[in-house]
Amino acid sequence: MKHHHDHSHDRSFDEGPTSEYEIMSRAMQELLIERGIITAEEVRRRMEQFDADFPYRGPRVIAHAWADPAFKARLLADGKRACAEFGLDLEAERLIAVENTPDVHNVIVCTLCSCYPRALLGMPPTWYKSENYRRRVVREPRAVLAEFGTIVPEHVAVRVHDSNADMRYVVVPMRPAGTDGWSEAELARIITRDSLVGVTLPKV
Amino acid sequence: MSLPSAYTEAPARRFNVGDRVAVKAANPPGHRRTPHYIRGKRGVIERVCGVFPNPEELAYGFNGEPKRVLYRVRFQQRDLWANYSGSARDAIELEIYEHWLEPA
Amino acid sequence: MSEKQPHDMGGDPGGPIDTVDHGMKFWEKQANALRNTLSRRQIVRLDELRRAAEDLGSRYYELQYFERTTEALRTVLIERGYFSEAQLRAKMAEVRRRDESA
Repeated sequence: MKHHHDHSHDRSFDEGPTSEYEIMSRAMQELLIERGIITAEEVRRRMEQFDADFPYRGPRVIAHAWADPAFKARLLADGKRACAEFGLDLEAERLIAVENTPDVHNVIVCTLCSCYPRALLGMPPTWYKSENYRRRVVREPRAVLAEFGTIVPEHVAVRVHDSNADMRYVVVPMRPAGTDGWSEAELARIITRDSLVGVTLPKV
Repeated sequence: MSLPSAYTEAPARRFNVGDRVAVKAANPPGHRRTPHYIRGKRGVIERVCGVFPNPEELAYGFNGEPKRVLYRVRFQQRDLWANYSGSARDAIELEIYEHWLEPA
Repeated sequence: MSEKQPHDMGGDPGGPIDTVDHGMKFWEKQANALRNTLSRRQIVRLDELRRAAEDLGSRYYELQYFERTTEALRTVLIERGYFSEAQLRAKMAEVRRRDESA
């Protein structure tokens, strides 16, 4: 069975038979377009933003925070405001940045549904949306972190943030040793998405 | 032009940072943003997030007014789970609406 | 007092986590963009979408993430009168026919 896709520059072909839900989603989109509620272009542009824009924002903001302690302080005081200052419109998202320190390691979850700071990080990874992550990270965060290869020493407190209501969270990891004099672009390259959710640490 | 903030003002609020609170042990039906695992538990106000339309009403097409005060509350993990296997300093923070909180 | 719903799963027992990010299929990206466009423009409210997903009840675990969100979006769009069940069914049949004849 062939699929009607606008492949354009997207190479994520869907394999296998078309699911009922894919048909449903496309049908809803077409009905809304026919009724003049939205346009195909709006949806296409939004897909583009999620792919090509949002995922690159988080690392740039945190790299800037590492390079500029005053900006970092403003980021920690009000994440949304600091991002706006940095030129990033987080739209409706109310961002709170939480800082890893030698005493505290932070990790983010949304147990109720998978809320995530999408306008800063793009789409959440499949593991973040998985039932086992949502079930277990609030109850046994250290065991969950260990599954990602992250062992937090006993003397470091693990702080879980369940973004269960209106706020969204991002972790500001500690800047690793061996990065003195790096440019923000070089710093951004080691700031992985997973480290901004708190399941891993940036590595030089 | 002023920059947008993550927070809104909540001048008429019941609790302040540092207050000890307990989450109601209620189990009402319908859309709630208070997970079951935190109901009936005690914590400390960590931050005042501001006032927001009540999601429990928005979920059904109402406008969620009057707005409710939202707090971030910190809980010690060992207070939440029997046999918690991490450090005694491990914590969890959630956002809890004022109408779900009582002084502890 | 009512019982805990399936979506309210924090603290439940669980198995190992598949720590690999399997990304998104094209249709999922499009479904996400559709949902996001509608909620950003307040055509539907995020709270309504969440409630509709929660109301899936026992079906919550039968569906994958984007199947749930699509089902929830359908519920809310029909509730708000953007189209009827019958209109959606007809459009789905049309989309399927077009796919098959391609």
